[in-house]
Amino acid sequence: MALSPTAVAARRVFAAAAHSGQEGGSVRTWKILSFVVAMPGVALCMANAYLKMHAHSHDAPEFVPYAHLQLRTKRFPWGDGNHSLFHNPHTNALPDGYESPHH
Amino acid sequence: MTHQAHAYHMVDPSPWPLTGAVAALLMTSGLAVWFHFHSTTLMALGTVLLLLTMYQWWRDIIREGTFQGHHTPPVQKGLRYGMILFITSEVFFFLGFFWAFYHASLAPTPELGGCWPPTGITTLDPFEVPLLNTAVLLASGVTVTWAHHSIMEGERKQAIHSLTLTILLGFYFTFLQGLEYYDAPFTIADGVYGSTFFVATGFHGLHVIIGSTFLAVCLLRQIRYHFTSEHHFGFEAAAWYWHFVDVVWLFLYISIYWWGS
Repeated sequence: MALSPTAVAARRVFAAAAHSGQEGGSVRTWKILSFVVAMPGVALCMANAYLKMHAHSHDAPEFVPYAHLQLRTKRFPWGDGNHSLFHNPHTNALPDGYESPHH
Repeated sequence: MTHQAHAYHMVDPSPWPLTGAVAALLMTSGLAVWFHFHSTTLMALGTVLLLLTMYQWWRDIIREGTFQGHHTPPVQKGLRYGMILFITSEVFFFLGFFWAFYHASLAPTPELGGCWPPTGITTLDPFEVPLLNTAVLLASGVTVTWAHHSIMEGERKQAIHSLTLTILLGFYFTFLQGLEYYDAPFTIADGVYGSTFFVATGFHGLHVIIGSTFLAVCLLRQIRYHFTSEHHFGFEAAAWYWHFVDVVWLFLYISIYWWGS
């Protein structure tokens, strides 16, 4: 399984740390790993996600009333029973289409 | 004065198992009442009772172990077995949802368009926020290990810092998942794709919240000097649980987010 290059490098460093056999120095080892590998890895992925998010278009796909989607076998037990818990009018269509004209 | 001639812990009678069972009854029947009669009272009552049970039961365990010394080595061994068995049961719990996902996705039915992802489903890009979430949880695995070594070597301040960092990463994951849930172009009602996605990741998210809470309790205990460098099983249990949560995410990421996209 291949993750980000950072995560792959991290795994190599973990293996090295595990085999180093240092007793007293292991606090320092994991502290270094945290600040040199783990946190920069998160920062890189944050930057990547931010850039990718802004790179693609914001338009939701056109609505097609497929029979296997937007199922309403039983009403949701809240509100009007037609909206999912994390309903987003911009990206989630109801069974008969998007709610707002601009989606 | 009475002495016990063994190292085990004969626990004093406690009401919490009963209140916990009653809470489970009220929550489950309350859920059914909510679905059919639109009243949340029973479920809310059950939830309150559950929270009170958890708080008082675990408070009592801390009293028995940390303050009264009942957690001798054999007792601790039993607690270790207990936590391992519990996590194993959770593994099987998630296995069921992965089974459902693979059952649906390996042989997609004609109703879905005979393909996976099903026709009309726009999946999330696995290399955007889901990848960030992976990095966040992996990083938290590193910081929690830093915390463990700090506790073992008596580095109090570092233990507090690293544990805090771990919890913050946990919160960040939950926050990001919340955003993803809101921004997702599909809902739980979008056929078997929506069901498998939200039930599997939803239960995972719940476990992240539980794990973060467990770690937060450990942070409070570390601040109050409960842990020694030799004896800190509560923390170890929380760390095991946290690693389990991380591993489940890795499987979710590979299966549902990446392969399933």
